[in-house]
Order: sequence, then structure tokens, then C-alpha cells
Amino acid sequence: MPWPLRGLRDGILTSRYPRKPDEYAESWRGAIDVLDPDRPERHDVAALCPTAAIGQDDQHLVSVDRGRCILCGACVGARPDRFGWAAGTDLGSPTRGGLVVPQRQEDDDSLAALRVDLARRVRAFGRSVHVRHVDAGSDGADEWEVKALTNPTYDVHRLGIFLTASPRHADLLLITGAGAQGMSEPVAGTLQATARPVVIIAAGTDAISGGMVSPSYATAGGIGDLIDVDVWVPGSPPTPFALLHGILLALGRLPEVRR
Amino acid sequence: MTATLLLVAFLVFAVGATIDLLAGIGAPLSRMLPYLAAAVGSGCLAASGALAVTGAPGEIGIGNLLGFGATALRVDPLAGLFLTVSGAVGVAVSLAAAGWARPEHRVHGRGLGSAWSLTLVGIALVMTAGGAFVFLIGWEAVTFAFYLLAGHRRGPTQTARDSFLTLAVGKASGAALLLGFLLLTSTSGSVQIDSWASVPDNGARQAAYVLLILGFGAKVGLVPLQIWMPRGYAAAPGPSRALMAGVAVNVGFYGLWRCLAVLGAPPTWLVIVVLLGAGFTALLGIAHATVQHDLARVVAYSSVENGGLIVAGWAVAASGALAGVPRLEVLGLLTATLQLVAHAMAKSALFLAVSTIEEATGSTELNDLSGLGRLLPWHGAGFAAGALTLAGLPITVGFVSEWFLLESFMQLFRVDGLGLQLAMAISGAAVALTAGFAAVAFVRILGLSVLGSAPSVAPPRDPADEGGWLGRIGVALPAFGCMVVAGLAPYEVGFIANGLAPVVPPHLVAQAIKSPWVLQPVFADFSILSPSWLWITFPVGLIGLAGLVLVLSRGAALRVRRTPAWHSATGGVSGPDRYTAFGFANPTRHVLANLLLTRTELRELDPEDPSGTNLGYTADVIEVVDHFLYRPLLSPLGWIVRAAKSLQSGRLDAYLAYMLLALVALIAAAAALS
Amino acid sequence: MTTAERAIAFADDLTQQVAGGARFAGLYATSADTGMRLTGLLAAPGEVVPLDAMLPAGASSYPALTGSVPAADWYERAVHDLTGLRPDGHPRLEPLLVASSEAVPRRVGGHGLFSVPYGPVRGGVHESVEYVIETPGEDIPHLRIRVAAKHRGIQERFQSLSVADGVRLAERVEGIASVAHALAYSHAVERLAGVEVSRPAGLVRVLHAELERVANHLDVAIGLAEAAGLVVAVSRFGWHKENVLRLAGRLCGSRFGRGVVVPGGVRSLPLLTAAEARTTLETLTARLASDVAELMGTATFLDRLRETGPLSVERAREWGALGPIGRASGVDTDARLHRPYDGYLGLRLDVRARREAGDAQERLRVRWDEVTEALHLIRSAVDALDGAAAKEPIVVPTAAPDGRGIGWAEAPQGEVLYAVDITDGSITRCYPRSASFHNLGLFPDVFAGDIFTDFAFIEASFGLSIAGVAL
Repeated sequence: MPWPLRGLRDGILTSRYPRKPDEYAESWRGAIDVLDPDRPERHDVAALCPTAAIGQDDQHLVSVDRGRCILCGACVGARPDRFGWAAGTDLGSPTRGGLVVPQRQEDDDSLAALRVDLARRVRAFGRSVHVRHVDAGSDGADEWEVKALTNPTYDVHRLGIFLTASPRHADLLLITGAGAQGMSEPVAGTLQATARPVVIIAAGTDAISGGMVSPSYATAGGIGDLIDVDVWVPGSPPTPFALLHGILLALGRLPEVRR
Repeated sequence: MTATLLLVAFLVFAVGATIDLLAGIGAPLSRMLPYLAAAVGSGCLAASGALAVTGAPGEIGIGNLLGFGATALRVDPLAGLFLTVSGAVGVAVSLAAAGWARPEHRVHGRGLGSAWSLTLVGIALVMTAGGAFVFLIGWEAVTFAFYLLAGHRRGPTQTARDSFLTLAVGKASGAALLLGFLLLTSTSGSVQIDSWASVPDNGARQAAYVLLILGFGAKVGLVPLQIWMPRGYAAAPGPSRALMAGVAVNVGFYGLWRCLAVLGAPPTWLVIVVLLGAGFTALLGIAHATVQHDLARVVAYSSVENGGLIVAGWAVAASGALAGVPRLEVLGLLTATLQLVAHAMAKSALFLAVSTIEEATGSTELNDLSGLGRLLPWHGAGFAAGALTLAGLPITVGFVSEWFLLESFMQLFRVDGLGLQLAMAISGAAVALTAGFAAVAFVRILGLSVLGSAPSVAPPRDPADEGGWLGRIGVALPAFGCMVVAGLAPYEVGFIANGLAPVVPPHLVAQAIKSPWVLQPVFADFSILSPSWLWITFPVGLIGLAGLVLVLSRGAALRVRRTPAWHSATGGVSGPDRYTAFGFANPTRHVLANLLLTRTELRELDPEDPSGTNLGYTADVIEVVDHFLYRPLLSPLGWIVRAAKSLQSGRLDAYLAYMLLALVALIAAAAALS
Repeated sequence: MTTAERAIAFADDLTQQVAGGARFAGLYATSADTGMRLTGLLAAPGEVVPLDAMLPAGASSYPALTGSVPAADWYERAVHDLTGLRPDGHPRLEPLLVASSEAVPRRVGGHGLFSVPYGPVRGGVHESVEYVIETPGEDIPHLRIRVAAKHRGIQERFQSLSVADGVRLAERVEGIASVAHALAYSHAVERLAGVEVSRPAGLVRVLHAELERVANHLDVAIGLAEAAGLVVAVSRFGWHKENVLRLAGRLCGSRFGRGVVVPGGVRSLPLLTAAEARTTLETLTARLASDVAELMGTATFLDRLRETGPLSVERAREWGALGPIGRASGVDTDARLHRPYDGYLGLRLDVRARREAGDAQERLRVRWDEVTEALHLIRSAVDALDGAAAKEPIVVPTAAPDGRGIGWAEAPQGEVLYAVDITDGSITRCYPRSASFHNLGLFPDVFAGDIFTDFAFIEASFGLSIAGVAL
């Protein structure tokens, strides 16, 4: 069967997300939740985590920083009463603090200002957004998930999102990796060359906090120090749905109910 | 009036040469005067020619001055056409030369100015000669002047060798012409060129035609006699390249045109050979022009290419004459003439620009040249105009002539005979390919050397000096011509129609003008082109587009955030980190490897080299004609020369014996024949 | 013995063993209080032998191995970058892992030559790597690879991690070969502890290792098809790859098989029933077979691969080329065959066709052979797991004593080696040697007559990960 016909043989394979919920995305074990978060914890659960994602405050209340979590499941394995898997891929947040669960502070004015600023910038993009990916020291898996966005299952072209080669054409920088020092100059150069307005997404736990790789003499422990991030997408690596959610979140194109 | 102007031109040239020889090169004025005189003389030539074309031919009888019967210098329309072109370009080139010669140390001694004048005199003599011997005297004058021009810079031995090669090929062409003329004269019984029309079509006439094409072909760079051209042109100093390549080369074309006028069509086989040879010449020339890394050589090889293109047009005309299709003959000749005009102007502009570039940067090495447009705005623009013209791009006169050339080859269905049709098809394909590579060749130089970033190497000696106002005017005139003549193409065709009257009927040529605005390839209802209309639509379209962008972006297109070119490389790179001219040409070196016989080699150098560079890469191309035709002949030739030398014993008795033997042999031969 | 004598003895010994048939498989240095320990790894049938030389404190150099062992080139540069220990007589001791702002001198001289710095931020979604191509315009007579931009300090990060956390970092050394790295690391720990994993655990490991292989080889096919502009093929294989990753995700919760392998066994049995897994596998196998047959019958595609990026058998043997790259050039270093581990001991590995052409097409053929074999192995593992006794533990306690363990696994890119030093239950030194590191050194050698437009094909056909090189 020649290639053009092969392209037709299996019908439409593409997800309807975000217009309709996607079953795979909904059922995905995408993050860790704190169970029964209002019950204080006397044991030192923070030590369970290899990347210090688990926090315990003065009142012994437990929280999980998804921006540090590498989803190894060590905490769930050791304390299934305190930690559990959360389903879904809607994990991105416009603030670094928004990645900490449970959220104990409500949105303040600065967050609202951030949202307004982001909305103002993305208005210029219209419905066509060009994404330039930059690897700032990833483990290689993040790139696979970014590339997956163009496969028939996710097919982000249908949403007017394109991966572009030149930063001159880019509206959005999607940065993966722990912020290797060798990449700080190339990242800065790429940002400088990118058209304005620009939106920056830190994709993956490595990009947010360095994950398992930090602390290290050779990385910055996340790209937050290299560049001003607009949206943070956790995951180790982040799934294509999580990436797509992050991009749409930045563009303000998520259906209201899904926020 | 026509004759008077011609006479005045000769006088002015003589004055110029005299000033050069007597006044020397001490003062700026005495360095400049010979060229200013040459400019005036060229102007007279052009005026005289233009008068002849527009209906006032002239004649200067010189009686039996040379002892071969009464003869005259005639300015008929054909001669007038060529005089107009050569003279007009000569004015610009001579003005530029005057500007060039003003500073010290450029002219290396007296003699250059006289050679300059001699070249122009030779050109005028060839184009106006009524008899064979005046023609030959003019021809030899040009040859000798070329030798002086090419050899003027007495520095490197290469220059001496190149100028000698120029002389050798020139002498060979003169010899071929002499033999050809003798054959024709012996049959017709007259040295008057016009009388040869009566020579019957026999072996002698065919042989003469071959000899004449060889002789003229050598001057215009037709394979296999093109070898002198790149070297001779490159060796010549400054603007004299423009004189040789833009002005003097026209004597060769004039000869071919005159042949067609007097002798009619050559035999079929010869037309086929010329068609194929011209196509091959064009392709070979542009292939080498594309890969050369010396600016002067690029432009010189493009002369070979244009020689091929123009002769290809001539061969189409000959095919038309042979096949009895007058319109095709008209089309071919018109095409060739248009290309000749375009080439004369563009080549002068290019070589004048090259001369100034060389003076300003001290180099013609393409890899070292960039941002010339900023460094030398006038000559950069002149170079751009010339390059676009020879690349055959729209709104230049080169586009018009190239369009006609391709159209003329498309008429191959109108001739009978498989051989002729095949030859036209092959030659046409070669010409089309040439047109493509011409764009590659000139885009390379335009993009990397004329445009491109600010010059990185070879700081200019004096950026303000573009040869003074004379130099600027000199390069601006032909460059302007390349553009403006295209807009006025119908008038140009009308002028050429009159000029070609001795060869083809003007009313047929005028059929190329479909309406005052629109041109067609002589045959009606085949295709049309309006270069003048392009001159309106291009600028209007461009301005319109810019306006549209401005309006649609609501002015945002003007608000630009400037950042350096994007470059994410981490550490530096030693050496150049962008395309070099050599690198840009490398794909051509590969694509045309069958023609250029490209050899690439990566070899190990000294592994201990402290610089760390221990691999060497070379990519060479081979001049096929030089390599496979002349090189093998060199050693037998050397052997013959050495053998002949042994005769030269220096003993009187031996010489007397040779003379005796020769006399006996002659008498024996005479006795046997009678 | 003096420092110099020790260093010379080490170099001589290693050179002789390589000359005697051992395969050079790695070199690293460890700083200790008493000086610098230089360790060479030599692969022999059945095991990987470390060769140590203790250079006393203050030793700053040793005789370079690269002259006699070509494959040592990059290793010696890496050692120099990370410890400052200098290999005397190394032909080109340029920085490899440490970013350097100095312009490195050109390797190739000649008229009109120039350098094209390509990267580290390149067109498309790629890992950051910078190729500096020294070119006369079209050919690629030489190219230099700079991986330093991605250097993450992984080796030092391993130190002081607990043995249990070490595997989590190992999974992130080379993210697209997470399972293989976790396996090699765990094998090192298990060998040191003298632990054998249970049968079900071994089968789960095979299951994920082979799924990872299929995904990687599909990624290479996508890269090649993309370079050739076969849009539909890119989509089809992209879809297949997505389905493989989803299968892995449904089996263990991670699309990359992360968190499955732990020292001593596996964290859990597959989350999917055998019947579900079989159905998915059958569909995948059938779809793949059909599309692979079409791809390998597409002349416009094969034309671009044939004789592109050839690696000669001699060069591959001399270098000890790993994985599919080696197997396409007649060098088989498959750890699963020569030093079998885990579930592979009880499963049948097909005898593969011997392939020696060494070009991009041959490498792709090797990969398809391996995909077929991997799908077969996965199916066998699922079947065997279905019947395996549930009472066997999936993880056995692994208390490693102090010492050094060496482990290996066959990643999709080739053999991965881990040398792990453990003291008091924490890692004091861990040297991960990815196949990517070893093989990338061959990359500049295969551009015989190839030009710019072949670059994408050759790079894709190597299928390496820069993360595993830059560490």
C-alpha cells in the first residue's frame, strides 16, 4: 500500500483535547498528592524524597512541591496513607509557587498582575503560535515528549501550534533541562534573537528545579535563574499532554472549566 | 561629417599617444591626458558610427598608400554600428582610465597610454577597413597593443608569460586571417573585402571561412582558442582590462558579422561545428567563472562565456541563412548584437569596478573581499549593475538579450536537416545551462563580496578614492547604460536594424518590434516581451508592496528591534565561520565535475604541527582544453624547437649549404609542377 | 615503583591486553586522598575486567593510550577535563566535557575553507550539541563535536547518593535509555552484593528493556524518514512509537520505564494483565511489520541511506564499535549474548543476520532485526510472566558490602557499563559509560565523501543521546 493511502488507513487518531477531555490524559498518573493534607504529620516524611520535594511546615503540615518531584513514587511506596498518585495532566502553573500542593495561600494581587501581563503578550499571537524548543541540559527524554507533540496522536498543528527552527520566528520558548552552565550563553542568545513579545515555558522537573541532577557544580538547578519563566510544567519528563496544557495555559486558550 | 569625425578621431589618438611618449608620466596631467584624448577620440568614433547608422555613411579614400591597389576607410552602417558601441563604451572606459592614472605609481612607465591609443586606432581601422591589408594592419595593431597592455606590469614572471601567451594567440589569429584573406583574394583577384562576395562556393572558400572563424574566434575567446583570455585579461593593469574585454573584443565579432555580410552562410558542417563550439565555450566559460576565486579571473572567464553566447547567436543566424529562413537569420543576428551590446557595457562596468576594488583593497582574492558596496558605493553599484546584466536578470539589458537568445534557439523547428536541428538543440541546452550558472556565478560575487558584512580583511588604502569623479563617471556610464538601454529596448532594436542593413534587410529586423512597447522574436505570434513595461511594473510593484506592508502592519514594520545575527555557537571558531566565496562555489565544482574535472584531496600533513592543523584539503579544477589539447602538444613542440635549434650552428658554410639545398628543392618543385 | 613507572606499566598492560584481544571499554579516574586512581575497563567474554593504577598524590600525567588504543581518545580527554590528569602524547587534547570559550585551532587547512558552527541550539527539537564542521562548502572533510554545553556533572552528583537513590539518577543519565542504565547500575550493585534477581523480576526487566529498544529504534526510523521528507512515514512511525511509550506507561506508570528497576529486582509487576498486553503487542507487531516493509521498499528513501555514512569493518573493530552501529559493521558486542543477565538467560535470542556494509541503510536494517527480536522477546517475557509463580519475590534485599561492582546492560544504543564504588551503603564513585559516549567518537569518521544534506541521515542513523555523552 503506498504511503498516501497508508496515511488514511487508520482513520483519525488525534485526540480532541482540549475541546473534549482525553481519556488517556485524564487517567494518567501524572503527579503526587498529599492525602488528608490538614492532618499534621509527626514523622519526618521529608526524608523520603530524594529530591526534597516534600515539605513540612511549623505546624507539621505536609506539602509536595511538584516542581521538585521526579515521580519516583518512593513516598507513595513508603507512606501510602499520606501520599497518593494524582490523575491527570493539567499540571502547569503560571507561578512557581502554584506547583506546591496543597495550595495554602490564595491568589494575591501580584498573581493577577502576572496573568494580565501574560494575557497582554499572548494577544499578539492570534491563533498561530510558533514554538522554539531549547535544550538547556536535559536527559534526552524531554525532547522525545516535545517531539511527540507533532505525532498524529497529539498533532498540535491542529491548534495552530508549530515547532519552528529559528528563534526569529518564535513566539514561545519551550525550555527543557536543568540549566547546564554551558547552555546559559546559548539560551541568552536565543532569547535575545527571539521576536517580542515572547512567552517562556520551563518544561519538566529538571527545568524547574534541576530534579535529580541538582545540586551539581555544572547546572543552575533549573532555568529560573537563567531566564524569566512564564509557565512551569512539571514532570520527569513532562508528558505531551502536560506540555500541551502548559502551552495552552500560557496562551489563555484552555476552556474555563479546566483551569 | 562621418568621415571627418573618423579622421579627427585618428588625429586625437595620435596626439594622445604622442603626449604619452613625449611627456612621460611625471605630472598628473601628463598621466591623464592620453586617456582624456582617447575619450575624445572614442566619442568621435561613436558619433561617426552613429551618423553612419542613421543614414550618412562616410568614406576616406587612402589611395594606393599601401601599394596593394586603391583602398579606403569606409563607415557603412555595419561598421557604424560597431563603432558606436565600441566608441561609446570607449569613452567611459577612457574617462575611468584617466581617473585611475592620476595618482602616482599606478602607471609603471610611458607606453601604456600609447598602447591604449593604439588599441583604439586598431579597432577603428579594423571596423572601417575596405581592403584586406588595412584590416590586417588594424588587427595586428590590436594584437600588439594587447601584448603591451597585458605586459605593462613588469613585476611577476606570470605577467610576462601571460602577456606572451596573449601575443602568441593574437599572432596566430592574425596568421589565420592572413591565410584566409589570401585564399579569398587569390580567387576573387582583389584585396577589396566587398569583392569576395563573388568567390564561388568551393574548397578554397570553405577553407577560408574556417580560417576566418578561427582568427576571429581567437579574439572573442571561442574554444579552443580561449586560453589566453582569462590570463591576458587578468594580467593587464587596471582599466585596460575593460578596454580589452569591453571595447576591443568587438573587433572579433565585427569580423564574424562582416563574414556573414560578404560571404553569406558558411557550409552546413561548419555551422554545426560553430554551434556546438559556441555552446561548449559558453558552458566552459561560466563553469570556470563560477569556481574561480580571483575576481579578475571570474570576470575574464565570463568573457569567454559571453563570447560563446554571442557566437551562438551568430551561429543561429548562419543556420537561418543556410536553411533559407531569413527571419531566423535576422533573429540570430539581432540576438547576438543585443548580447554584444549588453556585454560591452556590463563587462566594462565590471572590469572598471574590479580595477578600483583592487586599488582600494590591494586584493582581488574573493575570499578576502566583502562589503564592497559599503566601501565603494559607486563601483559597488556599478559592479552590481554589470553582474545583474550578465546574470541576465530582469530590468537589465542582459535580460532582454538572454530572452532573445533562448527564444532564437527555440526556433530550431524552423530549420531543415537533422544535423542542424540537433546541433541547435544541444547548443541551446548548453546556453540555457549557462544562463543558470551565470546567475550562480554573479549571485556569489554580488552576495558575498559586494553586499555582505563590512570588510573584515585588507583595510582599504583610501576608501574615499574611487578613481575620483572621472572614475565614478566612468563606471556609472556603462552601468547606467545596462539599465536604461533595457527600458529603451525597442529604440535599441531600431538602431540595430539600421546597423545590420549590410547583412539583413532592416524591415525584417524591425519586425522584432511588435508595437512601440513590445518586442517579439521576429517571428510573429511566438512570444512577446516588454522590457519597458518591466521598468514600470518592477518599481511600482516594489513600492506598492512596501506600502502595503506598512499599511497592513499599521507602521509596525518600521519599528524594529535590532539584535545581532543569531548564533548559538559556544566557543569561538578559528578562521572564517561563514560561507567563503570558495565554499559557495563548491557545489558547482561537484555538479560540473565532469566538465571541470574537479579533483578533491584530503591529505595528512605533519601530525606534529603545533598549530594543530594537520589535515590539508584542496579542490582543483582543470581547464580541459588547456590540459588535453595544449599540454600534450608542448613536449613534441619543444622537441621540434630543440631540433631546429641544432641547425643554428653559427657556421657560415652550413648556412650557405642550407640556402643552396632550399634553392635546389624549390627549383625541383617548380620544374615538377610546370 | 615511581609514579612514572606505575603509569607506564598501566599503559603497557592495558595496551597489551587490547592487543591480545580484549576490547577497550572505558577509562576513568577517581580522586582519592592518597592520589589518583586510573581505571581502565576491558571487556572480555563473560565479564568486564577493571585495570587499576594508583597514581600517588601530585601525579599530573601518564602516557597517553590513544596512540595504541584509538578508542581511548575521548576517554582521555574526559579524564583530563574532569581531573586535570594529563595524557602525555595525546594527539589533540581539546576540551570535551568542560565548556571552553577558546577557539580551538582548525584541523583542516586549505584555501577557502571555513567552519560552520552548527548548534548547540539547532533547528528542530534536538538535544543541544555543537558540531563544528570544517568545510570547503559541500563536503565534510572533518567535523568536531562539542558536547560540553550539556555537561551536568552527573559523575560527581552520584557521589554521596544512597544506593537506592543512585538508580534514580542512573535513569536520568541518558533519559531515552533509562531502563538500560538502571539495569547496568543495578547489576553493578547486585554483583557486588552477590545477589541474583528472581525469575519474575528478570522477566519484567527484559520486558521494559526491550520496549525501550523498540521505542528507540522507531525514533531512529522517524529521524531518517523525516530527513528524507517522508511525511506519512514520519506520522506512522510517530504513532507506533507513541503506542510503544503508552504501553510502557500502562505497564509501569512511566512512559520511559522509570522506577521499574531497583537494585535487587523490580518495584512491581506489570500493572496490565497478560491478555491486555498480548493484544496490544499483536496489534503493534502487525502494524509495524507492514509499515517497515513499505519503508524498506521505498526506493527514494533507501537511495539516501545507501552508502551514506559508511563505517568500515576494520575501523569498527579497532574502535570496538557498540550496539547497532557495530553490528552493522560486523562487530557484535551484544551484552545480552556475550554476558547474559536477568531474564535473557532463559529466553531465546534469535541468531541475527551478519551485516557488514556499515552504511546508514545497514544500520537501519540491524535496527529492524532488533525490533523484530525485541517484540518476540517481549511476547515471550509476557507469556513467561503469566505462568511464573506469583509467590516468588520481585525484589530481594540487596545489602552491598564496601567495594566496587561492575555492571552492564545492552541499551538500544549498545553496551552500557557502570562501575560503582560503595562505602557504608552510599556511593563513593560511580562511573557510567554509555554506548553513546563510546560511539559518538566514531561519528566524524564516517563522512567519506558525504555532504551537508547527508548529515541529518548520518546523525539519525547513529541514534545516540548527547545526555549520555556529556554526563
